[in-house]
Amino acid sequence: MRASVVKQVLAHAEQDDRVLLITGDAGYGVLDEFREKFPDRFLNLGVAEQNTISFAAGLALVGFKVYVYNIIPFLLYRCYEQVRNDVCYQKLPITLIGIGSGVTYAPQGVTHYSVEDVAIARTLPNLVIMSPSDPVEAAACARYARSLDRPVYIRIAKSGEPNIQAGVPKDISKPQVIRAGSEVAVLFHGSVGIEVVRAVQECAGNPLMISMPILQPIDFKSLLEMLDGVGTLISVEENYLDGGLGSILAEWLVRDDLPFKLIKLGIRNEFIHAVRNNQGMRCLYGCASDNILRCLEKVLHNE
Amino acid sequence: MQHVTQPVEELERLALHARRLIIEVAHKSGSGHVGCSLSCVDILTALYFHEMTISADDWGNRDLFIMSKAHAAMSLYTILKLKGLIQDSTFWGFYQDGGTLPTHLDRFSAKGIEASTGSLGHGFNMGLGLAYGIKLRGEQRRVFVLIGDGEAQEGSIWEGALFGARLGISNFTAIMDRNNLQGYGRPSEICYFEPIEEKWKAFGWETCRVNGHDFKQILRALATPHNGNPKIIIADTVKGKGVSFMENEMKWHYFIVTDELKARALEDLRR
Repeated sequence: MRASVVKQVLAHAEQDDRVLLITGDAGYGVLDEFREKFPDRFLNLGVAEQNTISFAAGLALVGFKVYVYNIIPFLLYRCYEQVRNDVCYQKLPITLIGIGSGVTYAPQGVTHYSVEDVAIARTLPNLVIMSPSDPVEAAACARYARSLDRPVYIRIAKSGEPNIQAGVPKDISKPQVIRAGSEVAVLFHGSVGIEVVRAVQECAGNPLMISMPILQPIDFKSLLEMLDGVGTLISVEENYLDGGLGSILAEWLVRDDLPFKLIKLGIRNEFIHAVRNNQGMRCLYGCASDNILRCLEKVLHNE
Repeated sequence: MQHVTQPVEELERLALHARRLIIEVAHKSGSGHVGCSLSCVDILTALYFHEMTISADDWGNRDLFIMSKAHAAMSLYTILKLKGLIQDSTFWGFYQDGGTLPTHLDRFSAKGIEASTGSLGHGFNMGLGLAYGIKLRGEQRRVFVLIGDGEAQEGSIWEGALFGARLGISNFTAIMDRNNLQGYGRPSEICYFEPIEEKWKAFGWETCRVNGHDFKQILRALATPHNGNPKIIIADTVKGKGVSFMENEMKWHYFIVTDELKARALEDLRR
């Protein structure tokens, strides 16, 4: 996903000389091409997250289109107030590219996980939140971000994620039907989507599979149309159970008084002390393909 | 565009007028932050009526000012009103229910508010970005940022200080309103604040230190060459400057101007 997004940033930079790329000392091997091609439009502002975001806002105030690249906690948490006041409050065309979504970096430890980023980002008006499920969606999100001319946060994992989408999405601003189905729908975002794909492949029923690359604002009208014939929703995410997609859907069901049953799969809201790799964490917290499959079967068998 | 400068006597007259307006708008609105607005009036007057190139007729080529210590926004609103950039009706609606000017700055609220500031340690760093962007664009515009001495305790200020001198931004000038009074104490007592000029010098900045109420000194400091570096002017000031009972009093970070105090303050500012 990193490479797909950075490729789009490169393409944007080639067409628009107002494009700048800033990193907070991350991107070794990933940003090299950009740095070599546009040495004057690449800045490593070092291990100084507050300054990095405010500095980016200053550049945007004078007309630049700025991309900021960093590991999510150092893009959104350390400098939350800078993102809030300087980027979102001022509605500036800055795209925050956050890497290491969920527990991608397991077992590096909690300081490097981003299991609450969706919850945090959702508190920010004017911010468009994107969480692509595969490299194709990541590229489409980056292209979409460029067209928006406003604050955007793209959360991606790292590299080597398999593609889930069959082709280039027609309209990335809407929820994406990955596989048609009925009765039960699995909604997901981010790299954990591959677990959903694996579960659905094993499943005897015919579940609907929807990727949600845009988490804010969500096109609920389109989503509701897609859910025709569905009774139960299962949300799957590599994010805390409270505050992420599951919560967004729960709020929607209450707000619009909708009759769906909702089951949330994701990471329990707790500090993670377990030392597992990415896959191990998914198993431990119940959002791996086996867990999703069991959940689907329970629903399909009315258990 | 013709750049209009003013003689020192005229700047002193304008600053006195600005101080009277601050007392009046503080009285009308019931807003606090009077002391910290009065300490930086002379600095803002020197910038807007002498040093900066800024005119509504040639807006795209203006120099930029960011009020990083935005709790003194009253002072900026007043100067922008005197400059003719903020309408009278807008100005007198400051901090009023249904008005448009808040206590801290919102860049969408009025012309001339270059950045939304209020939380300390943001405007300075945005200013660095502005200056670097202007340099990249090959423009000659300059950026001025006012920070407080309490604000200089923010880590972000020192992050910016560490990077500023590496960026070759000789179009950037910060001015520190060194009034030695913050919300609940004095910087010199709360932390190891001094020697402050030497700290910035060690970070690679052009520095100078002036009496922030002496126009000759302020103008001279603004005119000193950057030598390819960003510059910071440490301006020693008095919180509440010009009003005897407000000067150097912490309570005037918070107190409001009552009818009686307004009369006394304006009496002090008659000259």
